[in-house]
This record gives sequence, structure tokens and C-alpha cells, in this order.
Amino acid sequence: MQIWDTTGTIPRPQRVAAILWLSFLMAGIATGIFFSLIDPMELKYCVDFPEVNRTAAYSVGFLLFWLLTGTSSMLAVFFTHPCADGPEAPHDSPDRN
Amino acid sequence: MSKVEQYGREAAPARDREVEEELYARRQKIYPREVHGLFAGLRVTAVALLLGIFYGLPWITWSGRQAVLLDLPARKFYIFGLTLWPQDFLLLAFLLIIAALSLFFFTALAGRLWCGYACPQTVWTEIFLWMERLIEGDRQKQIKLDKAPRSFRKFRIKATKHTVWLIFSAFTGFTFVSYFTPARELAVRLAEFNLGPWETFWMIFYGFATYGNAGWMREQVCLYMCPYARFQSAMFDDDTLIVSYDEKRGEPRGPRRPSIDHRARGLGDCINCTLCVQVCPTGIDIRDGLQYQCISCSACIDACNDVMDKMGYPRGLIRYTTQNALQGKSTRVIRPRIIIYGLILLLFAGMFSWLLATRVPLQLDVIRDRNQLYRETGDMIENVYTLKILNMDNHPHEYRLFVNGEGIEHMRLITDRNPIRVSAGAVLDVPVRVRAGEEYLKHRSSRIRFRVSDVTNPDLQATEKARFLGPLP
Repeated sequence: MQIWDTTGTIPRPQRVAAILWLSFLMAGIATGIFFSLIDPMELKYCVDFPEVNRTAAYSVGFLLFWLLTGTSSMLAVFFTHPCADGPEAPHDSPDRN
Repeated sequence: MSKVEQYGREAAPARDREVEEELYARRQKIYPREVHGLFAGLRVTAVALLLGIFYGLPWITWSGRQAVLLDLPARKFYIFGLTLWPQDFLLLAFLLIIAALSLFFFTALAGRLWCGYACPQTVWTEIFLWMERLIEGDRQKQIKLDKAPRSFRKFRIKATKHTVWLIFSAFTGFTFVSYFTPARELAVRLAEFNLGPWETFWMIFYGFATYGNAGWMREQVCLYMCPYARFQSAMFDDDTLIVSYDEKRGEPRGPRRPSIDHRARGLGDCINCTLCVQVCPTGIDIRDGLQYQCISCSACIDACNDVMDKMGYPRGLIRYTTQNALQGKSTRVIRPRIIIYGLILLLFAGMFSWLLATRVPLQLDVIRDRNQLYRETGDMIENVYTLKILNMDNHPHEYRLFVNGEGIEHMRLITDRNPIRVSAGAVLDVPVRVRAGEEYLKHRSSRIRFRVSDVTNPDLQATEKARFLGPLP
């Protein structure tokens, strides 16, 4: 079973874009909303938050969001792979086991 | 012809093998041929204007500050005379909705105008192609160079191209970061090799994104990465302006000498010179009908018009037209889709303008003292609060503080200084005490209202509710 070749018909750049690029956009939106509501400088009063400047907090926040959304996209792409003997598995799929 | 038919036309059995090969085969590099003409001129103008704005804006100063500065570390956005705070998040959200609605509206009206002239991907690809052409030569020379065996000359030309691309990308990355850190300050620190780690990171990140997308990925970004390219067809109808080949006029295609009467020989106007394919940045053949890969850049229109001129045929074998016009029907510009998109756009633009016009650059927050519910001083009941006054304006202001006990008579506000001065863009914490006579309190907890208003301009004011606590009456 190939993890990345989900249906055998989607070109590689499209699969990479579906994982990395869309999650990048969503992480950007999430970062924007999160940090416009929450000031990272005030987080340290509430939780044990490391002493960093705002730029670093935003950057790390964005990268963490990206990790999260990217993982979700990766799992979504992975789960679109047809199940081995599922009714929807295409009969002429080249990588069908 | 409906959209289904347009796309369905590609699904002919003869095409299946071709499509399959396309999906599995390694991507063929596309060498778009240089094109001149009306639409190429328009695109160059758009590219110059948009890149001019992008690279120039950080260097413009507005009342002693960078005109457009998204000062994330200070949590303030400066846009010319306007200062936006995180509290103005709604404005930003509205702006994004308006941008999306404009895209819908213009797509329904004139197709993929955005893709062909204004999309950053198009704009940067155009400038990268221009640099490539300067260094490697025209389309034929580029193809020949890529096919040539390894040599010092080939290495030198390729190395020069990538160096120039990388320098330009680095400058792009610098410009991007200078929207967040003042450009002049950033330039000085760059020269001193004294950049912060995150500034360096984002400069390299954006620089590489530019180099990768405009130098290497190009049309693949439109094909695989762009969400708009995927759903724009939902905004299309038979009255939408598209770039289209006039099949009735062009077919049957074939080569011929300009002097002959091609009609008499049963030929259409298309001489099958394939220039329209050679100039296409996404590598499609417009003569196959409307395809989602077409970004409506109209390079093929310019190329074909040139050929038509040389052949002495009328222009417009490939032209901006609509499906209805191609089928000899009339095209309606004013139609329900346009009216609905237009009205929603107007509604949001109106709400945005109203929000912006009635925006008060002043905010008041009230925090109750947590140590004590209330205090008795003689026959008076006293509550303690901290008022947070947020002056979001670009000038200092003098504010007067008031309290209004709703239904409670003779309520007094006591503070050290009233009126109080708050400097531009500052937050001031003001401890205040509020007193009321015990006999006037009807409940254990009463609603009161704080108000802060400008001394010279009382219309500039903000109010905030709070609770006033006392003993059981």
C-alpha cells in the first residue's frame, strides 16, 4: 500500500499541495484570529508560558498551527485511499493489492 | 453549451490515453513564447503597477511613520492615517469578505480577470520569465539550451539565471518582512548583520517561496494549488466573458499561402501555426475549448491577432467573448447573478464604510476590585474599580470620567485626577472609587454605567457597564 498515492490518479504536485498549501492557508487564518483575540504577552500571567517576544510567539504559534492543520490534511489524504476490498475500490487501480 | 458539456467534451475516449499519460508522465517544462500586443501591454502595465506598489510602499512615510506598517510586535496596524487595533478585528474580517465578494462579482462579469492580470503568481511569474528571457534568450534558445549536453557555457548561463532569480527573491523576502518591521530600520540592521532570528527566518521563507513558485512551479501553482481555479467555474455562466477560439470561423484548420482563397478550398481561418499554444503560460491549446487550466491571460489573443493581420484576415479568431455570443445569441450583462453578487457586495461595502466612519478611537474596560465587595464609610457605600482607558487615536486626549447609577441618586465618582490625559496609542489604568448613599440602594447588586468622554469633543465617548454591590437592603 502506498500512503501517498491515494487513488493512483492524482499527480504528485497536487497531493503535496493538498497537504502543505491548504494547511498553510488555514494556519494563517487560525493564527490571525487566535492572536487578535489573545495577546501572547498576557498568556504568561495565566499559564506557564515561556518569556519570549511577540514576533517569536506569533511565528512559533503559526508553525504549530501549521503542524496541526498539516497533520489533519495528511490524514485526510491518507484516508481517501480506498479500503482494500471496499465496494468503491476501483477494479483497475494499478496499485491495488 | 453548458459547463458540463464543455468539460465533458474532453472526456472523449480518444483522449483517455492522453489524459492518463499526462497524469503519470513527468511534467513537461513549458516555454511560453514572448508576445506583444494590446493585452500583453495591459498585463505589463498591471505587473509594473502592482510590483511598484509592493516594493515601493514600505519606503513611503506618513506623518513621521512608515505609511503601511503591520506592527505585529506592538499589536497595531498603521495604514496611512488610520491605526487599527486588535479590537478592530471585525473591520479586517469585513475587508476580507469584500475582497472575496469582489472576486465573485468580477469573475461572473468578466471571467478570470484576476488570474490573467492581478494574481501575485501571474505577476511574479511574468517578471521571472522576463529575467529568464534576458539571460537565456527567446523560446527557441531556451529549448535548445535545455536540450544541449552539459557544458561550461550551459552551466554559466543557468548559474547566472538562478543567481539573478535568487537576488530578486531575497529582495522580495526583505520587502515582505519590511511590512512588519520598519523598512529603513530593517535595511540598517541587515547591513550590520544584526537581524533577529525570526526576521531572518521569514525573509528566507518568503524569498524561497517566491523563487520556487515563480521560477520553478509556475503554472503548477494555478493547476494544483489554487483553490480559486477549482471553484471559479461555479461563478461562470453563458454570459461570462471568456477567452475563446471561434471554432465556426477557424475550422477546418490548415496551412496555406496568404494569396489563395482559402474559403474556396474549404479551409477555415485558422492556419494551424500553433502560436497560440506556444505563447500559453499553462501549455494548453485554446482551440480545444474552455479549460480550467486557462487563466485568461489572453496571450493567445495577441499572438493570433498578429497572425490574422499578416494573413490579411479580420482579427478576433481568438477573442474575449461569451458562450452566448459564440452561438449567435445576445449577451446579457445585467442578469440576476450579477445583480445578486453586486447587491451583496454593496451591502458589505456599505457596512464596512459605516463601521469605519462610526469607529470611536476610544475604549473603556472596567475591572472590579477583587479584594473587597464593598466598604461602608459612614452612611455611604463604596466600591472600588480600575478603569482601563484605551486611546486608539494618533493624538493625546483629555478625558473626563463619569458614573451613572441607573436609578441610584447622588452617586459619586472619586479619583485623583479628573479630567485625565492619555497619550496617543496608550492604555491607562485609573483606580476609581464610587460612592452612593445606602438609603438609595434598592438591591444588593445594582447596575451602573461608566462613561469616559473627551473634554473638547464630548461626542468622542465610550461607556461600559459594571455592578455596584452593597449590603442587603
